[in-house]
Amino acid sequence: MAASISGYTFSSVCYHSANSNSDHEGFLLGEVRQEETLSISDSQISSSEFLHIVEVHNHEPCAQLFSFYDYAGKVNEENLNRILKDRRKNVIGWYRFRRNTQQQMSFREQVIHKQLTNILGIPDLVFLLFSFISTANSSTHALEYVLFRPNRRYNQRISLSIPNLGNTSQQEYKVSSVPNTSKNYASVIKEHGAEFFDKDGVIKDIRAIFQVYSALQDKVQAVCAEVDQSERVKEKIQEEVKKLKEEISLRKRITAAEERRHQESLNTENHSLQDDSALSDSSSPPSLTRVLLQSPPLEVSLDWPPNSTALPLYPAAPAPPPAPPSAILLPRPQAVGSPGHPSPGLGLGNGDGSSSDSLNRQAIGQEDQLEEEEEEEDEDEDSSEYENLVSERLQSPSLTDTAVSLGRPAALWPDGDTHSSGGSS
Amino acid sequence: MAVSAVHLESDAFLVCMNHALSTEKEEVMGLCIGEVDTNRIVHIHSVIILRRSDKRKDRVEISPEQLSAASTEAEISFNFTHRLAEMTGRPVRVVGWYHSHPHITVWPSHVDVRTQAMYQMMDQGFVGLIFSCFIEDKNTKTGRVLYTCFQSVQAQKGSEYERIEIPIHVVPHEAIGKVCLESAVELPRILCQEEQDTYRRIHSLTHLDPITKIHNGSVFTKNLCSQMSAVSGPLLQWLEDRLEQNKQSIVELQKEKERLIQELASL
Repeated sequence: MAASISGYTFSSVCYHSANSNSDHEGFLLGEVRQEETLSISDSQISSSEFLHIVEVHNHEPCAQLFSFYDYAGKVNEENLNRILKDRRKNVIGWYRFRRNTQQQMSFREQVIHKQLTNILGIPDLVFLLFSFISTANSSTHALEYVLFRPNRRYNQRISLSIPNLGNTSQQEYKVSSVPNTSKNYASVIKEHGAEFFDKDGVIKDIRAIFQVYSALQDKVQAVCAEVDQSERVKEKIQEEVKKLKEEISLRKRITAAEERRHQESLNTENHSLQDDSALSDSSSPPSLTRVLLQSPPLEVSLDWPPNSTALPLYPAAPAPPPAPPSAILLPRPQAVGSPGHPSPGLGLGNGDGSSSDSLNRQAIGQEDQLEEEEEEEDEDEDSSEYENLVSERLQSPSLTDTAVSLGRPAALWPDGDTHSSGGSS
Repeated sequence: MAVSAVHLESDAFLVCMNHALSTEKEEVMGLCIGEVDTNRIVHIHSVIILRRSDKRKDRVEISPEQLSAASTEAEISFNFTHRLAEMTGRPVRVVGWYHSHPHITVWPSHVDVRTQAMYQMMDQGFVGLIFSCFIEDKNTKTGRVLYTCFQSVQAQKGSEYERIEIPIHVVPHEAIGKVCLESAVELPRILCQEEQDTYRRIHSLTHLDPITKIHNGSVFTKNLCSQMSAVSGPLLQWLEDRLEQNKQSIVELQKEKERLIQELASL
């Protein structure tokens, strides 16, 4: 079983992930082929093996988390179709990017994966997990990726290769000819070899292939120009949308403030009126009526449970818009985009794939944490990037201490769900 | 310390990744363009892919003179100081270099550290980035891509240079900048240029017999085909996909904009 993804698609996933301050997920589009390989061995004259080749052609990023499933992990097929549209038939898997977590599928991811397998009807749906870790001083970062086939019992992990140019060395050019004094040789190759050269002595193939390259590069430039234009248009509309949102929230705040002031001024009026009415019975009934009419909102607010939050005190004020899921996720200390101060230490994940906020784990020290992981996974490794990260991460102990004291707010879970002890999502 | 941190914008990061992942057999390199602010933070908002003068697998460096010539050339050929500053509205200059370490550790070699030290003699704030890729742990089938940022320092006068670590953060940038797009599509052109130059040198050798010439012509054809299928093709596909994604995003954003306008009007 082999899998490949183009460097451009891979970089694009990294790019989208870098732009999100929470986890990032999306779908993998491509195709799965079967290739037959024939081999000859001493025991058999020919044995053929079927190799499954998974090719990822591109990815469909999801704009937000929870866009096709809910907090309970239930997949909503309608939303799924809305995201995928007609690309649904090209789906071969999905991917998730998380920071500071273990290279294992979380419980929720497994649940979602099973549902996707059934809904999309792909028995061998794959899952690509990206996890991102950094050194304590943020000078070095690692992006790890594993491709899973969770629907199989064995060999669940597949090697993912990134096809590339490989060897571009020009050592294959010959700088000298094999010495040959045969006159026959010289005359035959000159006479028949002339086919390959044009009147200028240039190899015809060279011109031909250069034409192909030229045409291709022109096309690349043309599409690039279109992409550039679309990026500018997108940027502009995003800016406009942002401004509109700001304006709306500003207006709402102003309206709410005005309402409050209005209420307050009425309250002070009421109080003064009540004093008056106590003094004389013949005080204007309309004012008393007005008092009665005005007070219910106040009483209502008093009746509300004391620990209710985010409920508008004045029903007249418009309710705040429901927060999008991404707003629930707080920026992590190590979220990309954080300014250049050293970030607190790394918490490595719990078994369920969600980040650990257990201070104990951080107190032990990242090196130990990493070494534990090392033993579990990389027993036979010669040179591990992790070892290098470990040795380099032996920074001043004060940083680790700072990490312990800063810790992580309990609300920071990669899946955005509320924290519960035990941590399984 | 001359530099306190590096902020690499995500679209520049994208181009670096594209470049680093383009070949696993050789180190690639490029220049980082941006500015340094008053807090000594280096902001990188685009990169230039460089041609290698010495295409050896294990070394990628250009001398400070070449670097300075390359920067000037880049700045002039792209008309940077005028066009780029106009486009981005920001001052621009070469602030660092990046190169890739395929299959090897992300840490700079002694040569890298010395090269960085040389660049720092011209510009104290010059930074070095290294991207390590094509790393796979066979046991866990885990692939890795790493990146690091460093400068060089001399512990004592006359002693060897050492590296010092510089914090680097990839800063979100929702849209891909024009300069980054242009840099990305330069790669196939640069590869073809390198191939043409090599072929021209070979072709000028007159003592080759026809068979050898035909052979060399085929090598050129083969190499160009490799470049097209491994680089130009996937690049074109990615551009088309991105265009499609943008078109969809624009439609959805328009809808949201209209909805918001209505909401604003109703307030």
